[in-house]
Amino acid sequence: MKISSLGVVVHKTVSVCPVCLENIGASVVLRSDEYFFKKKCPEHGAFSTVVWRGKSPSYEQWGAGYTPRDVKSDCPRGCGLCSRHLQKTCCALVEVTRRCNLSCPICFAESISGHFASGSGKAAHSAHFGQLRDSGRNSTSKLGVQSSLNLPPDLSGGDAELPVGELFEIFKSLAAKGNTFVQLSGGEPTVRDDLPEIIAAARAAGCENIQLNSNGIRLGSEPLYTKKLKDAGLSFVFMQFDGTRDDAYLKLRGEALLDVKCAAIDICGENLIGVTLVPTVVPGVNDDNIGDIIKFGLERSPAVRGVHFQPVSYFGRYPHEPSNEDRITLPEILRAIEVQTNRKFSMSDFVPSACDHPRCGFHGDFVVLPGSRVMKLTKRASSSCCDDDDAHLKNRKFVARRWKRAEDVGKAVGKDADFQDMDTFLSRVKSHGFTITAMAFQDAYNLDLERLRRCSLHVAQGGRLIPFCANYLD
Amino acid sequence: MDTGRIKCVLCNEGLVQKKTLFEYMGRNFSHEVPCCPKCGKVFIPPELAEGRMAEVEEQLEDK
Repeated sequence: MKISSLGVVVHKTVSVCPVCLENIGASVVLRSDEYFFKKKCPEHGAFSTVVWRGKSPSYEQWGAGYTPRDVKSDCPRGCGLCSRHLQKTCCALVEVTRRCNLSCPICFAESISGHFASGSGKAAHSAHFGQLRDSGRNSTSKLGVQSSLNLPPDLSGGDAELPVGELFEIFKSLAAKGNTFVQLSGGEPTVRDDLPEIIAAARAAGCENIQLNSNGIRLGSEPLYTKKLKDAGLSFVFMQFDGTRDDAYLKLRGEALLDVKCAAIDICGENLIGVTLVPTVVPGVNDDNIGDIIKFGLERSPAVRGVHFQPVSYFGRYPHEPSNEDRITLPEILRAIEVQTNRKFSMSDFVPSACDHPRCGFHGDFVVLPGSRVMKLTKRASSSCCDDDDAHLKNRKFVARRWKRAEDVGKAVGKDADFQDMDTFLSRVKSHGFTITAMAFQDAYNLDLERLRRCSLHVAQGGRLIPFCANYLD
Repeated sequence: MDTGRIKCVLCNEGLVQKKTLFEYMGRNFSHEVPCCPKCGKVFIPPELAEGRMAEVEEQLEDK
């Protein structure tokens, strides 16, 4: 352990310069209960980014049991899963469009707004979009691997989209390698009228679990379209859900969206499409709403299958270069869950990511019982080790089990039902399983290549599978 | 299952169905299983072990 003039160095790793993206050494330094990611580029100077706040749990505890590996490879340069990558693909993300029916100030995919025929209010919105100032980073790749880290040529033109037939070939290629869990992403995938055909193509290609990443606007506005997605074979939806109050949507998305989100949950519920709520947590915007978001989800179980928190990351499009006050870290979300749910959930109900690097996220597994009660299933000791060779397969089975709606919705039970009874438990866990999870994506400021090497969420791009945070790095 | 036809190897008593509490994978579950009315030992039929109990194990398996 090295004590520097600015704190205690608890970890050394490799990162990139956020300006030129050249690899540089980085240290995690503890100072006054906060852990900072510190690095210095010979050309662009020093950078310090908070990555962990508080010692309950501490940065060291959360990574306990994980054996760090030397980062000697040249990743993320040329990234596209080389032999040095330490995790297999759990889920393959396929971008089906760059268009979007929103123009959010923050968007990892830098989606293009205003191309959705049935969208509304875009003219007023575009002014706000235009005010976003460039963070000073060059928009072209600095990694020398333009084809692997940017959109493939056929999507780089903006509106151009891969036709269903070409997407089918991608799905077929993924499924042939055992990658049968796909996320359809964008942009906003529901801007495509042929999304049902895309889902059917993924099914026909052999994909078993098809997740749709969506803001829910069209799902909540067009019930027939949503039903078509289900009929085509959609498994579940990851729905952007920033809060139970419209002020969060106005700040983050530029529009009041709560009503349409609620409608989307109802319509997906009627069609037995599981919905997981995905809040982007931004300090000062919705970090005080974490408990209410969970309560909202629990009240809508079994239609809602869980909540997946994503601390805001600064890649793609964002309004300005982030300060440390613009960041929220995983332990802060854990503590907020405990405090804001009046300790209905406690930090001990959650364990680190097993499928990715432990400091990439957490998860807790629950069953919603009648009368606003929950049964807690996650046990710290039983959590699988991240070094398991089949962690990606375990994770895939787990999320499919929890995030899919059971076709048999389970028999109605009273609040006095005996959930120790094996049959009653099995019926309930299948119908009312509920997960609370989080994933902290990395940006150029806090990218830890050790974490990147354990990523199991990969973007299918140009015939390669690229770890999510490498794909959207610049 | 006609549990009465299965006898306890220790007591030679015919087994009877009885709701029994199990500790399994760190949790408590109850289920009716054939039980010796004299010594209380239970018999876990293969169809239970490979059916319901395997399902419970699968549901409790962490990611």
